[in-house]
Amino acid sequence: MLDALKDIVRKSSIHVCLVNSGGCNGCDIEVVALLSPRYDLEQYGIYVHNNPREADVILVTGAVTEQWKENLRRIYTKAPEPKVVVALGNCPISGDVFNQEGSSVNAPVSDFIPVDAELSGCPPRPSEILEAILAVAPGAIAAKGRQKK
Amino acid sequence: MSSVIWYMYEFARKSWAEKFAGAKSEYEIMEKPDRFRDFPEVFKEYCIGCGACTAACPAPGAIRLIRDEDTTDHDGLTYPEISVGACIRCGFCAEVCPTDPKTLTCGENHLIREEFTILPVDKMYVIDDYLCIRCKKCMKSCQVDAIIEEDNKITVDQSKCVSCGDCTDACPVKGALKVVHIANIDEQKQIIRLIVDTLEKTIENRQEEIKKLPHDKTFKMEYPLATLKEKALDIINKEDMVQDLMEKMTDRLKMRILTWDKDKCNNCRLCVNECPSGAISYNEEDGVKRDPDKCLRCSTCYQTCPFGVAGYYVAKFRMDQNIDEEDVILITLKPSQLPVVE
Repeated sequence: MLDALKDIVRKSSIHVCLVNSGGCNGCDIEVVALLSPRYDLEQYGIYVHNNPREADVILVTGAVTEQWKENLRRIYTKAPEPKVVVALGNCPISGDVFNQEGSSVNAPVSDFIPVDAELSGCPPRPSEILEAILAVAPGAIAAKGRQKK
Repeated sequence: MSSVIWYMYEFARKSWAEKFAGAKSEYEIMEKPDRFRDFPEVFKEYCIGCGACTAACPAPGAIRLIRDEDTTDHDGLTYPEISVGACIRCGFCAEVCPTDPKTLTCGENHLIREEFTILPVDKMYVIDDYLCIRCKKCMKSCQVDAIIEEDNKITVDQSKCVSCGDCTDACPVKGALKVVHIANIDEQKQIIRLIVDTLEKTIENRQEEIKKLPHDKTFKMEYPLATLKEKALDIINKEDMVQDLMEKMTDRLKMRILTWDKDKCNNCRLCVNECPSGAISYNEEDGVKRDPDKCLRCSTCYQTCPFGVAGYYVAKFRMDQNIDEEDVILITLKPSQLPVVE
């Protein structure tokens, strides 16, 4: 009974923490576009507030610069269980254009924290982000919550 | 009190309740518009394995030439493979792809389409829409009103253009207004081939010095322009065209140089299978051999080899005068910063 209730709550109310680990800011702007009336992210019960302490989903953008190596782990440990990490855009997946020879980015993000889902594009369209979050996030969080028990 | 009653009345209305219950996003926002440039599409049967797409790609690791397994009937196909996790959908690969029909297609890009002129001229003026800043200085300078604005794009009406060249003087952006020599295409190709071949040979003749180059230093050398120009003039005797061609070439040319240190080779044959064009072969007598004519200069062998047999350098060129005021081509060679296993 309690589990079923928890499942419903977890599925219908998702708190997102957006972390830019040193990218060009393009993906962040696409996420901000999601909050606009045209896409209206909050109608799906998704709330972006940039606080890892109450986040269910950590949305990582950027190619992990030197300073972010440690801080990324800190943010990850701060988020309560169950949590889902989504790598947004090409930077956290492969380093993208920043991963040139001799550069000091430390992509991919999965070297530092476990990544559950990847979303490619540079940047991905807001509709793609929305589609991906809605397809993966609710189920994944609920599943993780059950798994922990 | 009255406002509360108003709210209750408002919420009790049937149309409001229906809208509230059936609220959903419009489907159209989830669709990509026609102009959206999606990931490139690969038609692998057209590929000639030139490697132009890998050189043009701004994202390292986004595009890679791979080669199918050879069968008894025919050689395996060489073709580009797009990694979706690194591609930024810029469409540069589709733009530079020289095959016809194109191996890579990628939506709309700033491709210059071929047009033809009815005047017997050997120069054509085209505007690169990608670089054009729409200052319209060329429009004002044009004496025959051949430059027009259409859909917020400045274009040259080829049926009106008289090839006077006033617009190039007026244009403030380097490269936005391009002068294309449309006559003597074959001769131009010959000259380009001649320059590239001689420059590469000159660099490769000094391999021994280049190999000793430390990682953070650049190697500079000069090549006298006079002899090269003489040879080019032998191919076609048009001074201004040759000069223009050489300037543009040296400006844009970026050459990848591969050195091969046979003494270090331990015949491990890791590179043989990795090579996308099949330029590296192995047999018992000669060991591992690299065929420079087949080589694409993709640097895969450099990244694969655990013994440092292959060296990988990038050369850039510029036309300049040296201390004795002779015209020379300045060659700058830089070792690659790609990580390599020591």
